[in-house]
Amino acid sequence: MHERLSFHIQRDSFLHRLNPLTKLVLTLALILIAFTFPWYWTPHILVLIAIIPLSIVGKVFREFSLTALRLIIPAAGFLFLMQAFFQPIGEDVIFKFYFLDITSESLMFAFRNAMRVFVMVSAFTLFLVTTHPSELMSDLTRRGLPGQFAYVIISTLQILPQMQAKAQTIISAQRSRGLDTESSFFKRAGSLIPLIGPLVFGSLVEVEERAIAIEARGFTSRHVKTSLHEIPDSAFDQFLRWALLALIIVSIGLNLWPS
Amino acid sequence: MAFINLQNVTYKYPLTKGPVLQNINLQVREGEFVSVIGPNGAGKSTLCYALAGFVPHFFKGEFSGEIEVDGKQSSKSTLDEWVLNVGLAFQNPFNQISGAKYTVFEELAFGLENIGVPRDEMKVRVEEAMALTGISDLADRSPYSLSGGQQQRVALTSILVMRPRLLVLDEPTSQMDPIGTREVFGVVRRMAEQGMTVVMVEHKMEWIAEFADRVIALKEGQILMEGRPNEVLTSDLLTENGFGVSRYTSTAREAKKRGLWRKDHLPVTLDEAVEGFKK
Ligand SMILES: Nc1ncnc2c1ncn2[C@@H]1O[C@H](COP(=O)(O)OP(=O)(O)OP(=O)(O)O)[C@@H](O)[C@H]1O
Ligand SMILES: [Mg+2]
Repeated sequence: MHERLSFHIQRDSFLHRLNPLTKLVLTLALILIAFTFPWYWTPHILVLIAIIPLSIVGKVFREFSLTALRLIIPAAGFLFLMQAFFQPIGEDVIFKFYFLDITSESLMFAFRNAMRVFVMVSAFTLFLVTTHPSELMSDLTRRGLPGQFAYVIISTLQILPQMQAKAQTIISAQRSRGLDTESSFFKRAGSLIPLIGPLVFGSLVEVEERAIAIEARGFTSRHVKTSLHEIPDSAFDQFLRWALLALIIVSIGLNLWPS
Repeated sequence: MAFINLQNVTYKYPLTKGPVLQNINLQVREGEFVSVIGPNGAGKSTLCYALAGFVPHFFKGEFSGEIEVDGKQSSKSTLDEWVLNVGLAFQNPFNQISGAKYTVFEELAFGLENIGVPRDEMKVRVEEAMALTGISDLADRSPYSLSGGQQQRVALTSILVMRPRLLVLDEPTSQMDPIGTREVFGVVRRMAEQGMTVVMVEHKMEWIAEFADRVIALKEGQILMEGRPNEVLTSDLLTENGFGVSRYTSTAREAKKRGLWRKDHLPVTLDEAVEGFKK
């Protein structure tokens, strides 16, 4: 079983010490600028001057590069190929593959989009890796996000792997009673129907019990909630948030500017 | 005045045909440790829900009668006020994990965060509670990675840390080994001695006999019998009504038929049995 169900890696770094909301704004800023700033090389430059330096400042460069190699680059690479082949733009054919033409325009277009996706996924990865989920939620509730809403988000993040593990248990239990999960796809799909019952109804009963359990621990109490973890929020955090917001606005503004 | 006072409590779930609790009258004094026994479906868990306010505030259905704890009436309170006084830990420990926390320590602090306990006090209380139930070494583990018995300890601790006046426990040791079970009974006994009132559903007769002040036998939603553990747990009425009894009780009962058990009272625990057979 998973011992750790979050992506968070505990380190003592500048990035870890930033306020969770600041990091959220930073993530959004990187993504929005990569997608809207009207200069071709924006996402490429962002990788060099923001994503990689941030992973180093956050002391997670090794973990980040591993994730990038295993997950983000293959995904962005796939996107690159799809768009390079299937984007019908440009005249300047530089490569022919049966009926597919690759033009320099489609190549450039695909390269930029792949880099944008790379920035987006990387920024999110860095955010998740350097932010403690409970701290993020406590901080957001403190700022007025309804507690119920925060609970739903964070418990879903945790419960997905649980559901997966449970589906596996039910499959094993039913396979041991003769459920076929190994022949042809359609036969298998049909035979998985018995799985749905226990998973859904089991989950409903669980939801009811869990509701009772958290209620028994004062979840709907009208007291002002406190938080176990102290959440940093320095003047620098506030400055950074406003500065990033300004950058986002400038970037979107330039994008919309009639050229 | 009794600390807990149930008057004619009758309750039917929306989907059950008949009432699950029927005309329950029950008084418990402050600091008393009461154990509830009964066969499957007797309504033990439902009684726990009723004491903890979830019947009728959470489960709809038909409720009548009056539940009073510490002079306050359940029907006139709201659930969020009620749970401050009455703590409930129920059967399945897995579903009691909040799902919003990543370590046992955070999990135990969850309830205290909800009721606005200041951070420093919170840490002290969590550490004390962990020491009490012997789970200090689990503080940094993910609650999901624990064994069933460990999760049950966490569930119990997560309620103890809230310091309720009334502690309601529904089979809190069902996934524990004998050593764990004994420890939990010991902790609960100590809490009762410190003035916490305890109602605990259990099947483990030997431990009940050793630790509880009183036993209530529930059958088909009615109180069949109540009294001191030794009287209730060795009574013929229980066996006639299909309750399980301790193996020492059944052994001695068999022995009595053959004239090998000469004491008036049947034993519940090993010690009592050894004592009786020596004679
Ligand atoms: N949420 C519910 N909705 C409808 N009926 C329920 C619900 N929970 C329990 N019941 C029914 O109420 C009756 C008493 O159930 P309860 O869970 O209180 O018994 P119990 O004594 O705790 O049994 P066990 O030893 O199995 O835990 C049973 O017939 C059960 O089917
Ligand atoms: Mg029960």
